Amino acid sequence: MAYLEQEIDKIRTDLKASLGMDPVEHCLARIKTEESMREKCRRNNLPETEESALGAIHDAIGLRIVCAFVDDIYAIRDRIRALPDVSVVREKDYIRHAKPNGYRSYHMILQLPDGYFAEIQLRTISMDTWAALEHHLKYKRDTGPQTDLIIQELKRCADELASTDLSMQTIRDMIQDRTGQDAPDNGKPPIGLTDK
Amino acid sequence: MKLLLAEDTADLNRALTAILRHEGYAVDSVFDGEEALRHIQTDSYDAIILDIMMPRMNGITVLREARNLNIITPVLLLTAKAEIDDRVDGLDAGADDYLTKPFSMKELLARVRALTRRGTTYNPDDIRYRDVSLRSESFELVCENTVRLSVKEFELLQTLMLNPGKTIETSFLIGHIWNGEPDATPETVDLYVSFLNRKLRAVSSKIEISGDKEQGYSLE
Repeated sequence: MAYLEQEIDKIRTDLKASLGMDPVEHCLARIKTEESMREKCRRNNLPETEESALGAIHDAIGLRIVCAFVDDIYAIRDRIRALPDVSVVREKDYIRHAKPNGYRSYHMILQLPDGYFAEIQLRTISMDTWAALEHHLKYKRDTGPQTDLIIQELKRCADELASTDLSMQTIRDMIQDRTGQDAPDNGKPPIGLTDK
Repeated sequence: MKLLLAEDTADLNRALTAILRHEGYAVDSVFDGEEALRHIQTDSYDAIILDIMMPRMNGITVLREARNLNIITPVLLLTAKAEIDDRVDGLDAGADDYLTKPFSMKELLARVRALTRRGTTYNPDDIRYRDVSLRSESFELVCENTVRLSVKEFELLQTLMLNPGKTIETSFLIGHIWNGEPDATPETVDLYVSFLNRKLRAVSSKIEISGDKEQGYSLE
């Protein structure tokens, strides 16, 4: 896990230099607790052994990377794919195809140089906010007649947040375009030096 | 405010055009139904005044064709015959109002004011264009994925989807979607077009809004 965090840090530093801002808002690493691992083995009908824990279950190591903008997710994903000692076992783009409840995130299962598996979740602050708040609402236990309405409204919140994410990304692109146009190093003369 | 006037009687056409222009409307005047339909397909209007009895294509056919093309511009029909069937046909074909000849100028002007004030109430529920649908009740943009649009984004995309392939002038969009709000500029429209294009990409749609603030925008 230290290796993975180190690699992510490098990616972050590189992208910071090219974007002029840190693409990562925060990063959260966790190792599945023994209790939760045993529970997952039982749920998947696996023996509660070390082999299951480290070989069959792929999220013993988990890393959540929360980004500022949607495009940053894909930039980081591309860099993770390019890591020489890491192989990507599986990817799921729940941003392009949101889950029916509105959940959005980019999931990657990686195999690390030591053979262990790790799950990476990449998402924006908005997607993280939604997932965190949705998790707090214990509506799934409630079997009342309002459940459908709640599910529908949570999906609406997710779609609105996704829309806002895309607007913020468009605004960033516009600002970067402007800055690019005004910058003297893109082949065009700087403002004030053009012939009238 | 821009009007289309289709009236085959030359004198009446000239007189109406002059009076409407005097009232401050921009007027395109044509003399037959085919020409009227061509204008409706290629330009955007705030209201359309159609005579029923016209050569080449009558007013009701023009209206029906326009409504089939999802053009929701308010239409005022002019009819020489005071027959009930004529009015019923016209209203059923999608007219918003009618006026029987002979009419007073004062009344025509009042009806045009009422029509343009009413705006676009003729509104299909959900609009589909190629691979996307736009849900009017929820403001959802749906293709492989779903996002919720803001009111202005929705109205802008709706206008473009109802006029596919037609270039819509930026000033028309500012007038209709931003209701001429002083803060709304061509840059505002351009930014909203960018918002929509990104959202269309995010739901994996293949359609895209093209154009720029000088030339106007269209959905390809």
